[in-house]
Order: sequence, then structure tokens, then C-alpha cells
Amino acid sequence: MLVALAGNPNTGKSTIFNALTGMKQHVGNWPGVTVEKKEGEMEINGTRVKVVDLPGTYSLTAYSMEEIITRNFIIEEKPDVIVDIIDASNLERNLYLLTELLELHSKIIVVLNMFDEAEKKYSIDVAKMSRILGLPVVPAVGIRGKGIDELKEKILRGKFNPKKVEYPEDVEKRIEKIEEKIRKLGFEPARWYAIKVIENDVEVVKKIKDKGARDILHLAEHLRHEIEDIYGDDIESVMTSFRYSFAHGLFHEVAEPINVGGVTITDMLDHVITHKIFGIPIFLAIMYLSFQFVFLVAAPFQDAIDLLFNGKGTVSGHIPGLVDLSYNWMVTFMPDWLSSFINHGMLRGLGAVLTFTPVIMLLFLILSFLEDSGYLARVAFLMDSIMKKMGLEGRGIIPLMLGFGCNVPAVMATRTLKDEKERKLSIALNPLIPCGARIQVFAFLSSIFFPSNPALVLWSLLILSMVVVFVLGFIYSKTIFRGRSEPFVLELPPYRMPTMKGISIHMWEKSEGFLRKAGTIIVGAAAIIWIFAALPWGVKYGSPDSYIGMFAQWIAPIGTAFGLTPQAIISLIFGFFAKEVVIDVLYVLFGSKDAILASMTWAQAYSFMLFMLFYTPCVATIATIYNETKSKKFTLFVILEGFILAALFSFTFYTIVTLLGVGA
Amino acid sequence: MLLSELRPGEYGIVKKIGGSGAIHRRLLSMGLLPGAIVRVVRISPFGDPIEYEIRGFFISLRKQEAANVEVDKIVPLSLVPGNSDVRVIFIDGGVGFVQNMGAMGIAVGKILKVIKPCCPMQVQTERGIFTVGRGMAYRVFVR
Repeated sequence: MLVALAGNPNTGKSTIFNALTGMKQHVGNWPGVTVEKKEGEMEINGTRVKVVDLPGTYSLTAYSMEEIITRNFIIEEKPDVIVDIIDASNLERNLYLLTELLELHSKIIVVLNMFDEAEKKYSIDVAKMSRILGLPVVPAVGIRGKGIDELKEKILRGKFNPKKVEYPEDVEKRIEKIEEKIRKLGFEPARWYAIKVIENDVEVVKKIKDKGARDILHLAEHLRHEIEDIYGDDIESVMTSFRYSFAHGLFHEVAEPINVGGVTITDMLDHVITHKIFGIPIFLAIMYLSFQFVFLVAAPFQDAIDLLFNGKGTVSGHIPGLVDLSYNWMVTFMPDWLSSFINHGMLRGLGAVLTFTPVIMLLFLILSFLEDSGYLARVAFLMDSIMKKMGLEGRGIIPLMLGFGCNVPAVMATRTLKDEKERKLSIALNPLIPCGARIQVFAFLSSIFFPSNPALVLWSLLILSMVVVFVLGFIYSKTIFRGRSEPFVLELPPYRMPTMKGISIHMWEKSEGFLRKAGTIIVGAAAIIWIFAALPWGVKYGSPDSYIGMFAQWIAPIGTAFGLTPQAIISLIFGFFAKEVVIDVLYVLFGSKDAILASMTWAQAYSFMLFMLFYTPCVATIATIYNETKSKKFTLFVILEGFILAALFSFTFYTIVTLLGVGA
Repeated sequence: MLLSELRPGEYGIVKKIGGSGAIHRRLLSMGLLPGAIVRVVRISPFGDPIEYEIRGFFISLRKQEAANVEVDKIVPLSLVPGNSDVRVIFIDGGVGFVQNMGAMGIAVGKILKVIKPCCPMQVQTERGIFTVGRGMAYRVFVR
């Protein structure tokens, strides 16, 4: 049995989905797009039921990806039952989607979610509503699991005798004319197709055109003009008005307002949170505290995982980690190179993947809290006019800020952007934000090469990255990522207390996805790097005699144009694996701070940092970008973009400084 | 006037939804339809976007999008000062509420005179002088 969940955004759809399926769910993408698809399974009295969570939509037009996915799923997959999750405290608008669903499907169960909240606004006559609609209506409070058993019961044994959404006589008779012809084409549901072709729905018109039934299109156009003449407005306004008046009428039939007016808690909170003067400082404070929390709490876990895998060098010698111990053990029964490959290559890679997990889990804990509480929508409201200039909606600031922590969760967080183009734009910009690891390397190098003012040097790099992100965002939004595919209509839901359960499921989804998918790519890349750093057999790992070293020396003549020394190139190659490793590599190659200082001029050092600021994202970020977009072309584009910027800035800087003769 | 020109706290009744394609459709499916009542809640600190209340929920629209909506400015009866004549434009409620108001002579298109704005509000209609509760006056829109 197949059940599909439909509903507006912010109606607690995923809470109901989680309550139905528990942990038995699979998160992926709808084919060809970055819209998330969730599937799960449940068992009701021995019957296995597959549950699909459709994207949240306000209507079923052909103008948004989510809406097209939803309606195509219903037409093509023909679910046995559709569950329409309605925010009962916002009944009228939510009922509008129901009027559209009624034209597509006959077995719909209406779930009045957040029923407790709704009862404070009006009293709802559930029985009457069920009678009028001819459908099962289930009041529910998803976060407390109320109404779930009744919903399951109705999925199995509900009685459906749905009422038709009727249009006025002069519209109905025109729908019927088309419906007859559509039925001959074999399109079902014929009434829905008929209504949509009269409404001039682009997708449906195309489908009919593909069948060669031009007579239907001509007739529809003729009928459309007749209706527009009768009602004196465009067809979309006219038809939407009829459906809305059905929703409006139903709403007033079943809901009796308890009190109107009065100040709500949400209104009071918004008065402060979106305040003209306090709004922005409050936003910055919340972001600062969130990041502090994440990185403070994550750091000890990351250190512990690092210690566990890689051990620690101390004054009295090296404390062996899992990698060393396992290597020493395996080498007793297998060749040295194999043990080294398994442990120094793959196991170390696994360690790198695991050190990312605490940050990802905590960031998504905070992010889900902000999203579920309703604050994220306010961020969008506050920041929109700034972010608009770089082609993003207000929410786009969140992934960019997260980027300063780590680009991996930041790229994953672009899912909060609903628009496909904006998501890609945001992902393309994100790696240009220096993550914590790069900032750490910059701080280290600045303190060596610019001891008098390291902070200023660090700031110059941060400011440069922000300027580049802003300018590039502006250019991209006018060129390759031009134009939102959808208008920016943002709902500001009431503030709600998030539930621990909802947040932890969200957190688990994200971390599990990262571990499983991105993790494989990272471990693989670690193995490949090992091969190039350890071969030909017998050389010192990563030394100039290894393949990586040879490559660095081969490319060195080109590197000089950018102020890069061969050792700097080697460290950059390892930095591709994880940016913070650059420091370790320099230490391994030179042995001391003084030797590092002696290896480069200040101009070469700054050029090196400029290059590192932008060149390719690390393996984990690349794996995440690919995982989120499923596009090799796009992933390659991001890598190239980084190299071009890196080359551009380091070359320009180094050339100017050399020409001025102040580089030495 | 355009929806984007209303100021915070003001009300409008939608006359026509302009624009085309996605924006036209999206505004309609959010319930912005001819005859719908919109209230301007607040403006973002940087002047854009603007938060609106419509049909009991809250959305924010960019100015350029709100400029697709033509409105007439209206006022809920509860905010009308004393001693002024107004015309009823819209009554927000079910059949029962509209009938109750009608019995007092408050119906769409009728002219009312607010005698005393507060506590309780008294209005003169063609059927006489009536006392209107705050909750009711809040749902009657006039111009």
C-alpha cells in the first residue's frame, strides 16, 4: 500500500511523517533536482505501508518544482491514499490546497494538525467538516503523537465519498466540454486535466500538445476567453477565487472564532526580534552564541577522535594512536606497504571523516532549533534586502556564516534555500569563505611572517574573501545564476517550542547522510593521496622524492610566477585533503618555525596565503557539494572557480610586489 | 494604490492581482485575491521586505512583488474616530455574522455615522442607533 503526505510548508508534515514511520526512513533527492525526497515504511495491523513525504506546497500550479513534483507523483504513482496535513490554526489558507487535491484524487484523509493551538483561536466542528467533505478528518497534535493511531486506522479503513469542488454553472459546462475530449485522449483524472488546460497550465498544455490534440487547445483557449469575459478578470484569478471561496465557505461553516484581535506572543516577540534597531544586533548575538556553542562543545570531541586515531606527539615521544597500533599489528602478517596503505591511507581517512561528525551534528542541532522555532524565517525577513543584492534571499546568510566554521555543514545548510538556482549560487560561493581550518593556518603563518601585526594580515584575508563573495555573488546572480525561478513569498509562522525528538531526527539524518555518502569519497581520496605520497616505495612519506614531491618540482617553474615554493606546493596538495594539514606538512618538511621563516620571503608567504584562501575546497567539501547537487559538472565548476581566483589574486599580488621591488 | 504603498498598521482590500506567470500564481495561491483584506504588519529594518497579515496568517513580500497588487485603503470600523461618515466595504465573517450585522443596518455599501468611537462604540445606521462591540467593529471594514 502506498500513502503520500501532502500539505503546506510549516504544518508539521515531517513530524507526522516521523511519527508514522519512526526511524525506518530513507532520505534522498527527487530525480534530477535538489528537492529532498523522504520515504519510509510502517506496518498497520500486519499491512505493510510505504509512506512518501511530498514537498510542502501552497498550491499545485506548474510554476514551482515542488508543486510539479507533488502533482506528477499523484498522477503517475497513484498513491492509494493521500494524507493532507493541515495546520488547523491556519485553516482557510490550508484548505485551499485541499481544493486542488480534491480535483486530483478521491481518497484523501484530512489531518488537522496542531489542533491544540487551533482551539485557542476557534472551535472546530470536526464531525461537520468530515460530513461536508465526505472524507475522514482526524484532529492531531503531531509533536505529542496525538491522533496518529486514528490516522493509521483511517488509512486502512477510512470511508471516502468526496465532495466535488463545484464552479459556477457557466464554468462547469465549459469544463465538461473539454473533459469529454480529454477522456478520449486517455488522460486521468480527466476533470483535473480539463480544468488545468482551461487555466492555461503550461505543463498540461505541453502534454496535450505532445499528443497532437491541437483541437482541445483551441477549444480551451476559446472557452478561457469566454470565462474571462464573463467574470472580468484573468483566468487564474477567476479560478483561484472560486476555489478559495470553497475554502472560505467551508472554513466559516466549521470554525467559530473564539476571539479576534488581541496581541499574540508571536507578535510581541516579533516586535523585539525584527525591531528596526535591535533586530540586527539580536541576530548577530544569536549567531555568535550558536557558533560558540557548536565549536566549544565540538572541539573536545574532535580532539578525542583525533587523539584516538592519530595519537599525539609529546616531549617524551609519540603516543601511538589507532592508526599506529593497527599498522604495527598488521605488519606482523602482511607486507609493509599493504599495512601502510590500509592504515596510513584508509584508516587515517576514516579518522578525518569522523572528526567532522561532532561539528556537523551540533550545527544541525542548532540549525534545526532555529528553523523549527520559527527564527530562521525572521532571519530571512531581516537580511533579505542585503542578501538580495547578491542574488540570494535573506536566509542565504546562514550558510555563508556557517562557512567560517566549516564549509561542509555550510554546504549542507544551503537546503534551507528553497530556490534551486539560489542553492547553487550559495554553494558556489561557500568554499570561498575561509573555514576554521584555513583561518587557523593563516593565523599560524601570519604569526611567523608578520610578527609585528599578524591580526591585520588575517583581517586583510577575511575582508578580501567577503568582498570577493559579495562581488562574485552580484556577478553570478546577473549572469550564470540569473533570476529566481520562483518569487520570494516568505511565510512567517508563529514561534513554536521545538521538540527534542524532531531536532534529533533531523540531526541524525544529516550526520548519517554525511558519514555514509561523503565519507566514502573522503576515505577513497585519502587512499589515493597515500599512494602518491608514499610511492615510489622506500621514499620518506610526502618528501620531494615521492610522486607528490616530483610533481611539485615539475610544476615549480609555474609556481614561481605565483610566489609558490615547491614545499608550499606540496603542502597545498596535502591541504586538499584537509586544510589544517598544511601546518603539519610544513613542519615535517622544514622541522622548525625558523626554517619555515627562512624558506619564503614575506611576499611569497602572503601570496601563498592568498592562493590557499581560494584554491580548491577540501575533499570533504567537494564530496558534500557533489552529494548535495549530484552534478559532476557543477562540482568541477566550483573547483575551477577556486583555482582561477587563487591564481588571479596570488599572481597579481606577487607580480606587483616584485615589480615594485619590495618583495625581499 | 499599490499594496507596497500602504504603511504599517494600515489595511487594504485587494482590487486586482497583476504580474504574470509565477508571481501572479503565487500571490493568488497565498489567498491574495480580489476582495481579500490585507494588513501591513511591519517593515524590515532595511526597508524591504514588508510583512503582511492576510486571512489570519503572516507573509513577507518584497516591495517589487507587493507592487503587483492593487488595493483600496480601508479601515476597520473599530479605528474610525467619532463623528465621521463612512461606507461599509467588507464584512469579515460567516453567514451568521453578516446577517447579524445586516439586522443593524450594517451591510456592504451602506453609509454609517460613528457617533461615539469608544466604549462602547455607537453608530447610526439607516435602521437607528446601535451599540457595536469591539470584536464586531474589528471585522467590519469601511472607507
